[in-house]
Amino acid sequence: MPQGKDLGSEVFAEHAPATRLWEPNDGSRRNPDVIIIGGGMAGLSAALHLAERGLHPLILEADEKFIGGRLAGGETVRIDEHSFRLEHGVHGIWSQYRNLQAMLARHNLRPGFVPAQEENWIYKDGKFVGMTPVGSTIRRSFIPPPFHYLQLFLRGKFLWMLDLRDWASLMNVWSGLIMAVGIDPFAENQPMEGVTLGDVTKKWSPALKSLFLGLARNGLSSHPDEVSISGFIAFLRFYTLLRRDAWMFSYLPEDGGTSICEPLAARVEELGGKIRLGCRVKRVVREAESWRVVWETPEGEESTCATDVILAADPNNAKKILGASFGGLVDELFFPRALSNAVIRLWFDVKPRATAEAGIFTGDFTVHNYFWLDRIYNPFRRWARETNGSALEVHVYGPPETLAQPDATLLAHAISDVQQAWPELRGHRIGQHLQRNPETHTLPTVGAKEKYLGIETPWDNLFCAGDWVRHPAPAFFLERACLTGIEAANAVLTSRGLPKWTLLEYLPPEPFVAWIEKLMRMGRKRRKKNLAVK
Amino acid sequence: MLTYLQNIVKLTQGDFTLSPRLAVYYVTLQCNLNCTYCEDFGSRRNHLVTQNPTFEDARQILKVIRMGVDRLWLTGGEPLMVPHVLDLLAYARNELKFCEISLITNGTLLSQRLNLLPLLDRLIISLDSADPQALNMVSVPDAYADTVIANARQAASLQQTQYFKLIINAVITPETLAGMDKLLAFGMENNAQISFSPQSVNNLPRYELVTSAEYRAFIERVIQLKRQGAPILGSNSYFKTLLDQTPYECYPTLVPRIMPDGWLAYPCRPMEKAGSEQGGRAVNLLDVQTWDEAWRIAKEKYGEAPTSCVSCFQQCYAEPSLMQAHPFEYLTEKLRGNDPGAYAPG
Repeated sequence: MPQGKDLGSEVFAEHAPATRLWEPNDGSRRNPDVIIIGGGMAGLSAALHLAERGLHPLILEADEKFIGGRLAGGETVRIDEHSFRLEHGVHGIWSQYRNLQAMLARHNLRPGFVPAQEENWIYKDGKFVGMTPVGSTIRRSFIPPPFHYLQLFLRGKFLWMLDLRDWASLMNVWSGLIMAVGIDPFAENQPMEGVTLGDVTKKWSPALKSLFLGLARNGLSSHPDEVSISGFIAFLRFYTLLRRDAWMFSYLPEDGGTSICEPLAARVEELGGKIRLGCRVKRVVREAESWRVVWETPEGEESTCATDVILAADPNNAKKILGASFGGLVDELFFPRALSNAVIRLWFDVKPRATAEAGIFTGDFTVHNYFWLDRIYNPFRRWARETNGSALEVHVYGPPETLAQPDATLLAHAISDVQQAWPELRGHRIGQHLQRNPETHTLPTVGAKEKYLGIETPWDNLFCAGDWVRHPAPAFFLERACLTGIEAANAVLTSRGLPKWTLLEYLPPEPFVAWIEKLMRMGRKRRKKNLAVK
Repeated sequence: MLTYLQNIVKLTQGDFTLSPRLAVYYVTLQCNLNCTYCEDFGSRRNHLVTQNPTFEDARQILKVIRMGVDRLWLTGGEPLMVPHVLDLLAYARNELKFCEISLITNGTLLSQRLNLLPLLDRLIISLDSADPQALNMVSVPDAYADTVIANARQAASLQQTQYFKLIINAVITPETLAGMDKLLAFGMENNAQISFSPQSVNNLPRYELVTSAEYRAFIERVIQLKRQGAPILGSNSYFKTLLDQTPYECYPTLVPRIMPDGWLAYPCRPMEKAGSEQGGRAVNLLDVQTWDEAWRIAKEKYGEAPTSCVSCFQQCYAEPSLMQAHPFEYLTEKLRGNDPGAYAPG
């Protein structure tokens, strides 16, 4: 990204309406050192690392009640005379979330995780409904990557899901996977524009295609025709393709707010940071050597100044704020899309037959994954132990026409799907809750380098952080948010001559797949050279 | 060895609740030191410390443990602070006939308790540096530091006559890292084996260590020295795990832990300490007649022990789990004369 000077901000500064100056309520009358826009994982990580170095960050979070963005806790619902706290949806803490875990551990905030034991693949094709465990087979495979998935073919239940067409297209599928070994979209900044996952998997057989599209649906929360191949390759590489143990993960013991975000926010405040909820940032304006950040609260518009600003909002809001601050220039920049989804929770007065605690739905289902909350979250486990009941969370990631259905219709589809997978639960539902999440879930994609915002931006002392931000690290979602948050903090620290934080490196590919990767890179280089000669 | 082989069969059958290879009994939660890295029972956490069990209760607890395992580790707190520790060891050795007994101590009171050495197979002294000043930095007072070093020397000199092996267990912290080479030399000079584990914070190796080039260089040197035959306890797999924090399949039931008052920490100490719904103080051995009954109750309460856990990198769980998962390396260690099933200090 080329560096520039205050592009467009002077024009907008002239038209900035008068705003009430915000002052901290502790009587310090001290302007923050850094203003962080967005109190999700990226913003909290940045704030913590700045506060640890003695700076005073101010986090402005749009949500009026809860800190944490997509990892925030939510309101409570009462079912069966018990209270359950809601959230955006169940999150996995994967073994490769190294910087996130290191950050939490350093502050003694790493909760007692719940190790994932098994993940099921549930497939529906017409009247056929099959269910087979896949997660533990992949992470415990004795075959090295990228062929570790072959161990699935030693499982009778898995074979039962396939038909002749799947065997015939096996080579096709594998060649697609091998392609992912040779390209690192984030490190090489390969947008691979114009090719979607739908295009690549067009000739794949029904069941295998369904399995991988199901993975994409779950990982990237989108329709295969919308998933860029660069995002899918990067996703595969980070979570499963290069290491067997990359598919080891745990769940939080409670909702994300209780388990992580609220203790983390409290720590930021302990170290001298400030957090304000209900502040919807409108724009940033350059004023001499500092930035004025203007935001809206229920009481009206407020503003304050700081030398540095970290924009840690979701891609849609980041684009909106930058657009309001710098005008048309921002339209030329690349922002990954952010998607909405629906989360449905169902409570039953019985337990289902023995089954994996989580899994994916693929094929002719409306829902896309499931989590048995009574085997994951402490409050649900306590309730289930007392009542012998069970509680299930399912996610619906689209397509838009499905999400556009009325609540009652969407709920009916979800209940029908669940009952097809676990017929024994028919007639035992005692409660349900449907939640629609706004368009904040990043659809990971790689943009052309010159248009894709990284930590550093064209505007001096304005930095970006979030899971949508350009960075060569392979990380995804929570880890990417944390990593870019630390990097943005590092950028601020560097500009002030303070020591940076060291990042933990990601584990390298296993030896065999590393060798294939090397060969493929050499092949690509040679091909490029030959083309240049021609 | 038989349990090891039985566990391999279990693993091939998809049964991950493995039979224990040894049991760790916390004789007491009281400690006379206050090491900065101690996440358990340092003296500054005395408000958590419960009263020591009576000798009768401790005997009953060991009796139930013996029904399940034949190797016993006694630890604490500081076990030598318990008045009846000698009698308890004699009971474990002479009446319960444990095949192998190890005791972990901070070494401060050792000179007053040398009479227990003949009852031990292995004496593990927690000594993080051979330099009193460095020990002082992890909150071991000067007076104690000199005593511990002198006591370790004395214990080392008694190995041949009292038929036990001395192991020095060092916790690597940013403060002690610089002195680790000297400690290694101290161990070799005194014919002791040495084991290392990094300081753990919130169950992860400390950030300042894993981001330090010196720490990495030290672990690499340990791997090299071990290859050259230095008396270092710990498998290569374990040291590689320390280098990169590579995830591993954990089998916590290999090394069950029992609290002083008889409570079984199920499925492991970190989960028991977290106080969540997936683990806890499941059953008191004083309330059951047999080891199997205790485990049945624990499993009923909290379910099967989890395996694919990436929650902690503590040597006490990592080492036995890695050895169980790598039979070839286990065999190699065996051939070298080491006992890879028993690296469970802490």
